Amino acid sequence: MEEFINKKIKQIKKGDQNAFAEVVELYKDKIFQLCYRMLGNVHEAEDIAQEAFIRVYMNIHSFDMNKKFSTWIYRIATNLSIDRIRKKKPDYYLDAEVAGTDGLTMYSQVSSDIAMPEKEVEAIELQETIQKEILKLPDKYRSVIVLRYIEELSLQEIAEILELPVGTVKTRIHRGREALRKQLRHL
Amino acid sequence: MKCPKHVVEMIHKYLDGDLHEDEGRELKKHLQSCEDCKAHYQELEKAVAFVKSISHVEAPADFTQKVLEKLPKEKRTVSTRR
Repeated sequence: MEEFINKKIKQIKKGDQNAFAEVVELYKDKIFQLCYRMLGNVHEAEDIAQEAFIRVYMNIHSFDMNKKFSTWIYRIATNLSIDRIRKKKPDYYLDAEVAGTDGLTMYSQVSSDIAMPEKEVEAIELQETIQKEILKLPDKYRSVIVLRYIEELSLQEIAEILELPVGTVKTRIHRGREALRKQLRHL
Repeated sequence: MKCPKHVVEMIHKYLDGDLHEDEGRELKKHLQSCEDCKAHYQELEKAVAFVKSISHVEAPADFTQKVLEKLPKEKRTVSTRR
């Protein structure tokens, strides 16, 4: 995998956009998912994920091929997501009310045509609730929780992505877990 | 009786796979006898399971195309020009 990516990066450095497209294809779902779970909104997630890949392309010459490519792209996407969260702080509470409701909106559109089994409705509602609770976490806890439990990365990889000591990552995960425990225990 | 703070710390170490064998035995023993700590542990496990359970999302179908369209124009023409 690393060998394949390094080959592609060499081609991208020469201006090969097909090689770049292959790299985008390979990572788009992971990066989109990270942005979506950080931001709770499909349009914002798409916007930020696209921006992350454009930055990869623009800055490909500064990428150190001795390092892991996925760590680099995850770092760019995480930082962009956190910047976006901080920028929308003033209307944070308003956003939190409506954020993460894509599934429900989707459901209400569907429901007029087909009656959905109750169990499926419940499953969608549960997912929405969980997403909303993740969005309530302060960004420094939200990022580690998403990277750990949704992207399923190791503590070491998360430390490298966030450029933090592993101990700090663990502390943030502990606090994030405690916050989620209180928020989700009634479910 | 209030449980020592280090029990919660041990639970987190356990969840991170960092707990030593002897600590594991100590934690297990404590959880068997303490309802509060047992509930705390179960709630943490439940929270993690919930987060892990939210289904994976995929990027929109035209994602790659849209990214390519946003790349700087002058660089795009270099590769296509004869």
